[in-house]
Amino acid sequence: MSRPLIMPLAILALASLIAMVLSVGIGSVSVSPGDVVAVLMGDGSNLQQTLVLELRLPRTLAAFATGGLLAVAGALMQVLLRNPLADPYVLGLSGGAAVGALLAMMAGLGGFIVSGSAFAGALLATLMVFGLAHGTGSWTPSRLLLTGVVVAAGWGAVITLMLAISPAQRLPGMLYWLMGDVSYARSPWPALGLLLLVCLLVVPLGRSLNVLARGPMQAAALGVSVRPLEWTIYILASLLTATAVTMAGSIGFVGLVVPHMLRLVLGNDQRLILPACALAGGTLLVLADTLARVVIAPEQLPVGVITALLGVPTFLYLLYRSR
Amino acid sequence: MLTFFWQRSFNGLAMIGAAFALWQTSALADQVCATDDTGSEICLEQPASRVAALSPGATELVWAAGAGEKVVAVVSYSDYPEAALDVPSVGSHTRMDLERLVELAPDLVIGWVTGNPPEQLEAIRDLGVPVFSIEPRTFEGVSDTIERLSTLAGTEGEGFAEAERFRQGIAELAQQYETAEPVPVFYQVWDEPLMTVNDEHLIGKVITLCGGANVFGDLDRLVPRISAESVIGANPEAILAGGMGEENRHWLTRWEAFPGIAATARDNLYFIPPSLVQRPTPRLLQGSRLFCQKLDDARAKR
Amino acid sequence: MNPLRAKQLVIDIPDRADGQPLDFTVEPGQVWGVLGPNGAGKTTLLHILAGLRAPRKGTVQLGEHSLSELKRRQISQQLGLVFQDRQDGFPATVLETALIGRHPWLSPWQMETGEDERIARHALEKLDVAHLSDRLVNTLSGGERQRVAIATVLTQAPDTWLLDEPTNHLDLHHQVAVLQLLTEQARSGRSVFMCLHDLNLAARWCDHLLLLFPNGDACWGPAERMLVPAALERLYNQELLTVEVDGAPLFVPVKR
Repeated sequence: MSRPLIMPLAILALASLIAMVLSVGIGSVSVSPGDVVAVLMGDGSNLQQTLVLELRLPRTLAAFATGGLLAVAGALMQVLLRNPLADPYVLGLSGGAAVGALLAMMAGLGGFIVSGSAFAGALLATLMVFGLAHGTGSWTPSRLLLTGVVVAAGWGAVITLMLAISPAQRLPGMLYWLMGDVSYARSPWPALGLLLLVCLLVVPLGRSLNVLARGPMQAAALGVSVRPLEWTIYILASLLTATAVTMAGSIGFVGLVVPHMLRLVLGNDQRLILPACALAGGTLLVLADTLARVVIAPEQLPVGVITALLGVPTFLYLLYRSR
Repeated sequence: MLTFFWQRSFNGLAMIGAAFALWQTSALADQVCATDDTGSEICLEQPASRVAALSPGATELVWAAGAGEKVVAVVSYSDYPEAALDVPSVGSHTRMDLERLVELAPDLVIGWVTGNPPEQLEAIRDLGVPVFSIEPRTFEGVSDTIERLSTLAGTEGEGFAEAERFRQGIAELAQQYETAEPVPVFYQVWDEPLMTVNDEHLIGKVITLCGGANVFGDLDRLVPRISAESVIGANPEAILAGGMGEENRHWLTRWEAFPGIAATARDNLYFIPPSLVQRPTPRLLQGSRLFCQKLDDARAKR
Repeated sequence: MNPLRAKQLVIDIPDRADGQPLDFTVEPGQVWGVLGPNGAGKTTLLHILAGLRAPRKGTVQLGEHSLSELKRRQISQQLGLVFQDRQDGFPATVLETALIGRHPWLSPWQMETGEDERIARHALEKLDVAHLSDRLVNTLSGGERQRVAIATVLTQAPDTWLLDEPTNHLDLHHQVAVLQLLTEQARSGRSVFMCLHDLNLAARWCDHLLLLFPNGDACWGPAERMLVPAALERLYNQELLTVEVDGAPLFVPVKR
């Protein structure tokens, strides 16, 4: 904990900057680095301006925000449940969001209403799992986890049912949403703002989270008000996940693996891990999205495929190398 | 360069019939307008010169409208007419490369109401390119779509002629089979899972056109999933199937194991090249003729 | 320092009658030992005294205030608790583990300083685990982990120590070293309250004893008054032989 926090964060920040520059510079249509700079300075041709400012930049920022939100939410969920297998979706959040979004689509609604409905679905799922896990007594992490997993399975069934009974003309939109994609996330700013806010918020909460990771009794004995802190984490993680899912559909893997990778390398100080997750998660998704749109262009790959293909070997290598 | 106006109708998809689009008088002599199948009216200051067709069916229809040489972008599987294979692709109809599309600078995008994700069409509109969404569900819809596309592309001469040729062809078949003996028909869209069409589907309408009686015509869903048992129970007199690719009778062989079905007993298992009936385009006329011919064969074996 | 006081306290053991309410005060300088068979409620009592669990009846007071009126942070600056079992879901080093003992003393915005690290390292040295500072806790032996846990509370530096079986897993030398350390803490004006399995260690190091019977009965007082063979035999349901060595009684189970 006394180890410098600045160095790793500076390196990760540099990496995310490089990833974003690459992402804005690379595409199925080539724009030279000089032209990218020119466009950013307010110059360049019409086509270049459209490509860089209206397509690539919002998409890059949206990918960064989504990746960052998911990774931070994952790290928080893992501390909350004290289970390294927890991820942002484990408590049925993405299922609830998907049901919300698909309901709106079935009703033939679009755009903003689908996003709002997804967000409402995610929050409903959150409250439902928490309420059920609470039951008549107090909840424990394992009870919360079990409730979440079962509820998630229930959402899965509802999604399948909805896909089976919805009219054929609604299917492409629904499947597209379920696969997750950052290409239609038009306004990344609210998500980026939330990400920044959370990174600032964890500075004062960070040490309490470190203590909480040792178990609730130990944390309470060391002066942490466990229940309020757990509520805060839960609501925060849900909010982050709901925002990410609303923006880009459900993109797996980032929230599970990024926090782990960082823990293997940087230790488990949440004051370092959480901002590092924001940077590394964002970087991973920006890189993955860049690959997804250029590897077999003009065909576009679902970004979740790439995150898994990039993340799995990296993770396994780190795990193999670690003690 | 372009302006386009919206007129949202609340009838949504039901607006397919609003074919005979409102012609708006305009100060601009060259302005062309048409209403698409979502009920939006699209107006171009001048006929489109660079068209992007975001479904294989749309590509065929634009060609049919006489605007083939104006097509600058297509999507995967746009394989008809052959000239379409030389046009740059912008990815699949569910996941488009917007960058590539923007680079090709279309001044009109032909969308597919139920095939393209709404988010992507929205993104294209946000970039200032008008999107004309189509989805022909009737024979008249095919002719009418060709006419509207030719209006937008300024090729009305060719387009209206082709539309009329299709309209006439279908009318002739309708007349010819008006009094034909009904034949109970099962049409197999897909093998695993087993899928068919109802009477609302365009293929279902081809069956009716040819004097067939679709054994699953009353089902609610446009493309219902069914069990093999229900096919045996329905006991169709003719089974028609497509298949993966051309001249692939593989899907029909499963029915040979059930001699109890009238279609098997009378050897009425027919292959229809899916490319002729699967898309709502002028090739459907050719497909319908083949379809009717097969049903004639079945009647002859009575 | 504020003495820890149990007032008419009944611990909540499922399906057990209230029994004898506990009413005692742990004064500065005292070393208390809690004796009792398995399931008598020793751990539950410790958790209640630390405010981690609610009693069935009665209150626990720290000085003038009952625990329920105090903030967790205020409690943790006065009370330290060594748990019997610990969960480590995530890997952490020995030094990091000891450093969390500083948590009650730092404001949310503060990072640990060099001074905090010095305190933690000193505690690790005292418990003879300084050489393990950079090891991950989950790679240590049971006895080493036990000493790291005690070092964490030493880093926390509470006025009142609560310990659940502090000699568990420890070899004889380290058992003695830990009890010696706790005795020193008491001499410097702090107080110690611990559950012990080993009757003889309790007899040798504790000046006060609390006997918890499985049926909810209890008695407490100065050690010499509590170490009555008949009571101890009833406590453990085990016949004992008593000898005196080095001025302290030694209890040996009768071999049948």
